[in-house]
Amino acid sequence: MHTDRRGFLKGSAAFGAGALLAGSGLTDFARAWAQASPFKPEKGAKLTVLRWKRFVQSEEDAFMKLVEAFTKATGVAVNVINEGLDDVQPKASVAANTNQGPDIFWGLYSLPHLFPAKCMDVTDVATHLSKKYGEWFDSAKTYGMSKGKWIAIPIAYNANVINYRQSMIEAAGFKSIPQDLKGFMELMKGLKAKGTPGGFALGRASGDGNAWVHWALWAHGANLVDKNDKVIINSPETVKALEYVKELSSHFAPGTASWNDAFNNKAFLASEISLTNNGVSIYAAAKAGAAKGDAKMKEIMDDMNHSNWPVGTVGKPTEFHICYPMLGMKYTKFPNAVKAFLDFTMTAENYNPWLEGAVAYLSHPLPAFDANNVWKSDAKLTLCKDAGRRTLTAGHLGSVGEKAASALADFLILDMFASVATGRSTPQEAIAVAERQAKRIYR
Amino acid sequence: MSDAKPVQADDSEGMSYLDTVKTRVVTVYIPLLLILFVLLFPFYWMVITAIKPKEHLLDLDTHNPLYTLAPTFEHIKALLFESEYPRWLWNTMFISVTATILALIASVFAAYAIVRIRFRGAQITGGLIFLAYLVPPSILFIPLSTVIFNYGLFDTPFALILTYPTILIPFSTWLLMGYFKTIPYELEECALIDGASRWQILTKIILPLAVPGLISAGIFCLTLCWNEFIYALTFINSQEKKTVPVAIVTAFTDGDQYKWGSLMAGALVGSLPLVVLYSFFVEYYVSAMTGAVKE
Amino acid sequence: MSDAAITPSGHDRAGPSFWEGLKTNRNFLGFWFMLPAAAFLVLFLVYPLGLGVWLSFTDSKIGNPGDFIGLENYEWIIGDAKFQLAVFNTLFYTFVASVVKFAVGLYLAILLNNHLPFKAMIRAVVLIPFIVPTVLSAIAFWWIFDPQFSVISWALRKWGWISGNIDFLGDPWNARISVIFANVWRGVPFIAITLLAGLQTVSPSLYEAATLDGASKWQMFRYVTYPILTPIIAVVMTFSVLFTFTDFQLIKVLTNGGPAGTTELMATMSYNTAILGGRIGEGAAISTAMIPFLLGAIMISWFGLQKRKWQQGSDND
Repeated sequence: MHTDRRGFLKGSAAFGAGALLAGSGLTDFARAWAQASPFKPEKGAKLTVLRWKRFVQSEEDAFMKLVEAFTKATGVAVNVINEGLDDVQPKASVAANTNQGPDIFWGLYSLPHLFPAKCMDVTDVATHLSKKYGEWFDSAKTYGMSKGKWIAIPIAYNANVINYRQSMIEAAGFKSIPQDLKGFMELMKGLKAKGTPGGFALGRASGDGNAWVHWALWAHGANLVDKNDKVIINSPETVKALEYVKELSSHFAPGTASWNDAFNNKAFLASEISLTNNGVSIYAAAKAGAAKGDAKMKEIMDDMNHSNWPVGTVGKPTEFHICYPMLGMKYTKFPNAVKAFLDFTMTAENYNPWLEGAVAYLSHPLPAFDANNVWKSDAKLTLCKDAGRRTLTAGHLGSVGEKAASALADFLILDMFASVATGRSTPQEAIAVAERQAKRIYR
Repeated sequence: MSDAKPVQADDSEGMSYLDTVKTRVVTVYIPLLLILFVLLFPFYWMVITAIKPKEHLLDLDTHNPLYTLAPTFEHIKALLFESEYPRWLWNTMFISVTATILALIASVFAAYAIVRIRFRGAQITGGLIFLAYLVPPSILFIPLSTVIFNYGLFDTPFALILTYPTILIPFSTWLLMGYFKTIPYELEECALIDGASRWQILTKIILPLAVPGLISAGIFCLTLCWNEFIYALTFINSQEKKTVPVAIVTAFTDGDQYKWGSLMAGALVGSLPLVVLYSFFVEYYVSAMTGAVKE
Repeated sequence: MSDAAITPSGHDRAGPSFWEGLKTNRNFLGFWFMLPAAAFLVLFLVYPLGLGVWLSFTDSKIGNPGDFIGLENYEWIIGDAKFQLAVFNTLFYTFVASVVKFAVGLYLAILLNNHLPFKAMIRAVVLIPFIVPTVLSAIAFWWIFDPQFSVISWALRKWGWISGNIDFLGDPWNARISVIFANVWRGVPFIAITLLAGLQTVSPSLYEAATLDGASKWQMFRYVTYPILTPIIAVVMTFSVLFTFTDFQLIKVLTNGGPAGTTELMATMSYNTAILGGRIGEGAAISTAMIPFLLGAIMISWFGLQKRKWQQGSDND
């Protein structure tokens, strides 16, 4: 049993021990894979992987199993370091700036596009994988490629969906979450009237906050930039989006302006709110609580469900799910081992159990994994299957590069919505501030 | 010599003997209790969070949040036995103590030189030391990380042991300068005439008299190190080399789910040794200052 | 010291050897005594500091050193509404927090200077907020300031003083006050304990003399206690102001600058811009813009100290 967050596995001893572990399917497969793989790690290679700290324990367990199998098959020792979601980027930035540090980073959104020149070219890995598992989803291509080259492998998505309490929306007169903007407003209004309001984070929550305000912006046909990266935020559509959110937020539970990524989880689990946006981690937490015999958690688990976001005036989904790209750093001494690791990770025999372990917290970027068991196991989780297809990318119409990353990090859109929703400024004022800032970033 | 009388700390409460019991209650005990309440409440909140069952945290109506009838030690157990917490605590202590000692040594020399040796430019140097605080660590760490890499210190305790003094030296130097100034010059002149070297003066005369200053600077330095976050976050990668503030936030946070109990338990367990240590030193620090100058 | 018989010749400049002369040369000695501190500061501070200032004149990005662009970054931030807001927030935060910290700290010090039962324990206990790592006490404050689960809202509701929960961190002014409260909470203990140490140096004979002269309590404080405390106040407050001004952890954890930038400080803004946004040059410009303010704070205390040399030794009483 390893409860440890860190696994440093001695590769050399692994071959001897392999015979004892012959029962493990993953190991058998791994050895066969090592024979056939086009990516042969350097002799004596060692890798350090820095990843974000898991959301779901079983996901990490599956990942560590995969890492272990990789070590056994190739003899490459892999040191896995876990960091909080918000700490991956500073670490990667320091590494990119000093040309030293972990070989592989697993971060979020457009991390590789902050320093594309420092990322390994992994085009061969991406092509190799798409030959086996079908075309990469469009959003995966956007996140993975820069100037025609793959600079990262978009390993997975984290679906950000509407979490709601069935009983409460029924009390407000709805069977399911309306899939249009007007109906959705009615629902929020109804929930508030019944004393069971919902709420979305308006504080600087990099995950949940960004996810929902971008949905609102795009749903109204508004955009920060056009396809030539020209700033077009100052538009009637943006005003409409701001007005919509201002009204919507008047039906929120109090305090959403201070929510960060963790606040809605606890409010939902305490039945303080009836609806919010989140990954499926609330459901996972309720399940875990129910398994321990907590009756309240069982009630929430049975009652809650997930929904896609309403589709706005643009007529197509405008969801914003988190992408988790994995990238190799150019300074690594073992580029082939990095490629082997990326390829190994995405190989179906490894990826499938891992995806299952993540219990829908992660969604795949390649069509072949639609068949994964996790999408059949629980009807409440099935919708996450399409996260990679439905999501738009950071910067949407524009490029996904460092500029889009900058705008996200500055909470440009989020602050614009928050300052209108809290009544600090009029839509026009908020747009003016955002526009000036955007023009600077996209100069 | 002047009339700086040796005064016992316990007798030094000014004119309080004029107060009656009643006015003392109103002017001293009630305000003191109020302030103590405010200062200690968040701490109490941490204690209660650390021993409360998780479900009670989110249910204020059925479970009074101010106490718990079903204390649990599962959070503390998870902290001590299912994580590398003892190791992190040890790292934090080792790094803090070493950095504090280094900083104090450097500060003693610097303060003594500025106050007593009075070399040319001493005044200016005293001012320049302050400039160390001009650029905050929140931005300094990017250029500094390059330096750390170049010196080959990355991911070693020395990355922190050697950088922390930069935030400690200015304050402790200034504090010690103040203390050194309180030591009568005559003492030193006599010693110089007697042929004592600067080193002897420093170790035999100045330092013993400056003990309260050293303790106060030490407390401050130790706590700053204990708390430091950005350098510890960026310069240390390996899990087993991390310090408490950085490590436990990562260890007890699963994405957007926080393990409140263990986080709070980690803060408490990490603070208790310091509280004990300080409870001894604080009294010494406060009272020793009174009698600092005796013949 | 007791060997008064030894004649004072060794310290004379016209001493027997060059080495003897050197040993007592002030500048030479000063150099060696300053060396350890200087080494630390030069190796780990001066160079990165210079680099930081240099970066503020470039369009450096992460992984890309960038080119010199003169004052462009500064021109931009000066016109940026968010930066202006951050400057205002920082000044407000620093000013209010420092004043309150000083007032409460001094008051607490005076209270603690009384004859109290369990004195040692109380003094140690007072230091607790200062000891608990900031990141973690900030997490405790999350709960205390939580919009749904705040124990303060809960208590006030129980007593019937309020009907709904208080929105501690969601309303701009509430949020500013809440983060200042947390900062004060953390900062008061050290100030109080240090001032207490200063108070204890005041000889009771001074109070006795003042009492005989018929001085009121306030006059005693104003003309006896305060002047003696001034130097220690100057040092402690200078550092308090510097640390409050550059505060980072507390805001980062509690609000991350939200809602909509109303609690954003210059330190958090420079971090977000440089590290998360990748615009190192601009972030460096924001933090370099803090220098004049910090310099101002230092100057004030520096000249304050010059005027009144620290405690004057003990040669005037």
